Amino acid sequence: MKPKVAFFDFACCEGCQLQVANLEEDILGLVNLVDVVEFREVLTGSAPEYDVSFIEGSITRPEDEARLRDIRSRSKVLVSYGACAATGGVNKIKNLWGNIDKVKKEVYDKDAAMPHLETYPTKAVHEVVKVDYFVHGCPITRSEFLKVVKALVFGTTPDIPQYPVCVECKMLGNECMYDKGGVCLGPVTRAGCNAICPSNNVSCEGCRGAVPNPNNNAMHEVLAKYKLSVDDIKRQFTMYALDPEVGK
Amino acid sequence: MELLQISKKELLEFVGTLVSGPLDVFGVVAHDGRFAYDKLDSAANLRLDFDETLYSPKQYLFPPKDPVLSYTPGDAASCAPVYAEKDQAIIGVHPGDMAAIAMLDKAFTENKIDAHYCTRREKTTLVGIYPTKPGKYRFTSSMIKPEEPYLAADAFLIDMGDDSYTIEIVTDRGKEFFSASAAKPATADGKAKAEKMKTAVKDTVTLKIKREDLPPFLDGKERHPVWETRGAKCFSCGSCVTVCPTCYCFDMLDELDLSFDYGLRFRTWDACVLEPFAVCAGGHNFRTKAADRIRHRLYRKQKYLLEKLGLAGCVGCGRCKTACVPDIAFPPDIDDDLLRKEAHHV
Ligand code: SF4
Ligand code: SF4
Ligand code: SF4
Ligand code: SF4
Ligand code: SF4
Repeated sequence: MKPKVAFFDFACCEGCQLQVANLEEDILGLVNLVDVVEFREVLTGSAPEYDVSFIEGSITRPEDEARLRDIRSRSKVLVSYGACAATGGVNKIKNLWGNIDKVKKEVYDKDAAMPHLETYPTKAVHEVVKVDYFVHGCPITRSEFLKVVKALVFGTTPDIPQYPVCVECKMLGNECMYDKGGVCLGPVTRAGCNAICPSNNVSCEGCRGAVPNPNNNAMHEVLAKYKLSVDDIKRQFTMYALDPEVGK
Repeated sequence: MELLQISKKELLEFVGTLVSGPLDVFGVVAHDGRFAYDKLDSAANLRLDFDETLYSPKQYLFPPKDPVLSYTPGDAASCAPVYAEKDQAIIGVHPGDMAAIAMLDKAFTENKIDAHYCTRREKTTLVGIYPTKPGKYRFTSSMIKPEEPYLAADAFLIDMGDDSYTIEIVTDRGKEFFSASAAKPATADGKAKAEKMKTAVKDTVTLKIKREDLPPFLDGKERHPVWETRGAKCFSCGSCVTVCPTCYCFDMLDELDLSFDYGLRFRTWDACVLEPFAVCAGGHNFRTKAADRIRHRLYRKQKYLLEKLGLAGCVGCGRCKTACVPDIAFPPDIDDDLLRKEAHHV
C-alpha cells in the first residue's frame, strides 16, 4: 500500500508547497509512489492519520502549537520542509528585535492590539514537536524534496548535506563571490541547493540555515582579507536571522 | 626527445581543426578577468598566456560528479559499470598541474587499478605549456622536480617569445597528435633557446624548506599550536581541496529514479577538511576538530604522499591561497608559521 502523505502550512508564503505543486512531469512519478490525502493547494479532503506529514511554515501563535501537536500525534513520520519550518526562516527576523510589542507596533500600528493579530516570537517546527527529517531552503529545492520522498518510501535515510555551499559552488566551477566584491554566506550555510545563488552571480544569504557546526568566528578573517565592514557581514546574515558573531 | 617548432598561427589553425573534429578539446579561456579551463568551441578562445586558472584540469580526469555504475534496484545481475566513452585532449597544462596528474596516475593505479580513472586517462591527450607569466602565488619549482611533468605529458609547448612555439614530443600519442599539424623539426638554435625559455618565468614564492626536507621537518609537529590557531579560523568549507590539482578524495552517492526502476551510482568529490569527511560506521567521526583536519591536509600535501608515492601532494600552484576565504590554507604560509613558532615551542 502506498504511504498516506499530507501537507500542512503555518506562517509562510506557501512558496514551498508551490514548489511541490509545480513538480511538472515528476508529479506523476510522485503520486505513483505516495497517496496524497491532504494538500490545501491542490485538493480538498482530509484523513485521520498519516504515514508522512510535511509541515511548511513557522509557529507564531499559541493556536499554531495546538494544531501542530495534533498533526504530530496523527503522523508516523513528520518532515519539516522549507526554511520557515526548518529554521524559522525570514519569520525569525522579528526575533532579532528582542521586544515583540515593538514588532507588533511596527507591523500593525494602531491595530496591534486586535486579538486575531496576536503573535509571539517565531519558532521553527522542531522547537515545538519532534521532527524526523528536514528539507531546507527558501524555497525548497524540488530535487531535494523528491530525494527525501524517495528515501522515505524506499526505506533509507535521506542523505542531506552536512557541509557548506562552497563545496557545490566549487564543483560547478564558479568564481568566488568574495573575489567579485560580494559577501557570501556559502562557507557557513548547509549545501543542497546546488549553490544556485553564487552560480547566478548572487551571494548566498543562508536560506538553508547553518551547517551543523558553523565557524562564524572565521568571519573576522574575512573582514580583513576582503576589506569589509562588520555591517557588510551583519546585513548578509539578517535575512534568515543567522548569527554572525562578528560584532562581539 | 623529439623537438618540433610551429608558428602561433599554425598552432591555432591546428587547434581549429581539432575543435571541429570528434575529439572533446579542453583549454584555457579568459573568464571575467581571470582564466579557466573550458571546452573549446573555437580555437580563437584558446589562451596559452594565462597566469593561473581558477580550477585545475583534474576535473576532466576526475570529474566532480561521475557516474560509475548503473543498476535496477533488487537485481544484482543488472549492475553494470559506466565508463567514459569520449576521447579528449587538454591543451595548456602548466608543469605543476602536469606533475599533479602524474601523481593522480600513481594514486589511481597503486595496489588496485581504478578502472574508471584509467579508462578516461587512456582516452586523454595531455599537452603542457611552460608558463609565460608569473602566477600570483606560484612556487612550483619548490615542489616538483623538472622531470616529473614528463611522467604524464604527451607533449609540451614552449613559448619562444617570438611568434612560435617549440613542441617537445614526449610520447607516441603526442607524436601522433601533432602529426596532422604544420610543425617542423626544430633547428639547433631553436633547441638551445627552448631550454632557456622553459625557466624564463620565475616563481613568485619560494618555499624556505627543500622538498626532500619537508617530511622530516613535519615529523613531531602534529601537536604544534599552529593547527589550533589556524583551525579556529577555518570554515571547513573544502575550497582549499576542491581547487587543488592533486586532491583526489571521493564519496559515493546513489540516485534512484522516481520510478524505482533504475539507479545510478556516482563518485563525487570529497575533502578531508570537511567536517563529515571522517564519519564512519556508527556515526563516529575520528577527526572532529578543524585543527586536526587542516593538519591532516598539510601532511598529505608535504609529507604522506611524498613518502608513499615519491611525488608531492602539492605542486605549488597557489590556488588554495586565493580560494580559501579566510586565507589560512597556503602551505608556504603554514610552513612559515611552523618555522617561526618553532623557536618558542620546542
Ligand atoms: S521557506 Fe520561503 S518559500 Fe518556503 S514558505 Fe517560507 S518564505 Fe515561502
Ligand atoms: S561564492 Fe560563496 S559559496 Fe561559492 S565558494 Fe565563494 S564563499 Fe563559497
Ligand atoms: S545559495 Fe544560499 S541563499 Fe541561495 S539557495 Fe543556496 S543556501 Fe539559499
Ligand atoms: S596545496 Fe594549494 S598550492 Fe599546493 S597544489 Fe594544492 S592548491 Fe596548489
Ligand atoms: S582552510 Fe580555508 S579553504 Fe580550507 S576548509 Fe578551511 S576555510 Fe575552507
